Amino acid sequence: MEFSLLGAVFVAMVLLYVTLYWEARRGNAVSCSRNLWDLALTAVLVGVFVGRVAAMVDAGVNPITHPGDLIIIRGGVATGPATVAALATAAWIGRKELWPVLDGLAAAALAGLGGWHAGCVVRDACLGTPSDLPWAIAQEGSAVTRHPVEIYAALGLVIAAAAIAVWRMKGRPAPGMPAGLALAAAGLARLATEPLRPTLAGGPVGWYVAGLLVGVGLVAWRGTQRHLE
Amino acid sequence: MTSLAAMSLTLARMRRLLMVLVLPLFAASCSGSDVDISNVPELATINTAALETLLAESTTPVIVNVWASWCVPCRSEAPLLEKAAESTGAAVLFIGLNVRDDQAGARGFIAEFFSAAPIQHLFDPDGGIPLELGGSRGVPLTFFYAPGGELVNLHSGVIDERTLALQIDEILSR
Repeated sequence: MEFSLLGAVFVAMVLLYVTLYWEARRGNAVSCSRNLWDLALTAVLVGVFVGRVAAMVDAGVNPITHPGDLIIIRGGVATGPATVAALATAAWIGRKELWPVLDGLAAAALAGLGGWHAGCVVRDACLGTPSDLPWAIAQEGSAVTRHPVEIYAALGLVIAAAAIAVWRMKGRPAPGMPAGLALAAAGLARLATEPLRPTLAGGPVGWYVAGLLVGVGLVAWRGTQRHLE
Repeated sequence: MTSLAAMSLTLARMRRLLMVLVLPLFAASCSGSDVDISNVPELATINTAALETLLAESTTPVIVNVWASWCVPCRSEAPLLEKAAESTGAAVLFIGLNVRDDQAGARGFIAEFFSAAPIQHLFDPDGGIPLELGGSRGVPLTFFYAPGGELVNLHSGVIDERTLALQIDEILSR
């Protein structure tokens, strides 16, 4: 059995929880942080389930005849469907106070995503395309040094999470703007690091672009509604 | 407080919904589907010495994936290996080493998951070869060899696309 994925999940969950806790103590919580934590975990579970089913269908494996394959997360989770399902779940559960709930999750979700990428250290999966930069590293026994691309993504996401948390405390943005910015930041972080990732057929760049555009659109739209709040 | 209670109720409903979605999928595992294996030839039996000779004489990098038809994780990674074999073409030789299996099961698995892939499948009914190559008895296993047979990396368990792409890049750079 492999447990390295669980290690990366643990890093992600710790960062998610710490960010929710840190924000709650500084007045950023919309309700009690425990409810946001439950909501976030439920959204992530639904997202992973939908993303795994989508990846299986995409790979030609029938989830009805091979249901046991659902638990083999390492076999692939489709990023786009997983993200849409997680966002839809969070939005549906928190529909009575939609923007405050999504804003409350924004920084924590980004930090958790950053933790997932930083978990590459546990999974031994940080390396990307070859590079001669001073901080490039090689896998054991190899002479080829490479970008630690997942660390780049983790840093970008954690910095964005911190910026959103501080913005919510100091800037008092219009409801929905932090959520939009978080979505845009997540799309941008993946889009910017994608050329440095080793892949067989390219990543789901279309989904990253869609996330970036929807996020920017949300920020712009909610910004224009500020005077109506 | 009202919205908190409503949110808790909604979360409880979500958990029930997840159960409703997941249970039928597991119930469906009792059903199976027959696969036509008439187009899949019998797998050639190989021993460790012959495989080592094949690796040593190869002028291209070689990936040896150890699989079995009864191995659920092998099914999960099969589409990825098929895609990799198709995308690398003749630059990398893909060998599928079927272990501790029977011909019918192995051929059924190939018909279902590897039908179009340029992968050379070999048969090791005792499953001793991976151990003698430095691996373990667990499946799946994926060995990555440089031209000439130097073992560059051994991946235990299901391989993901990023790892596979990285290791292909490594053996192609040797």
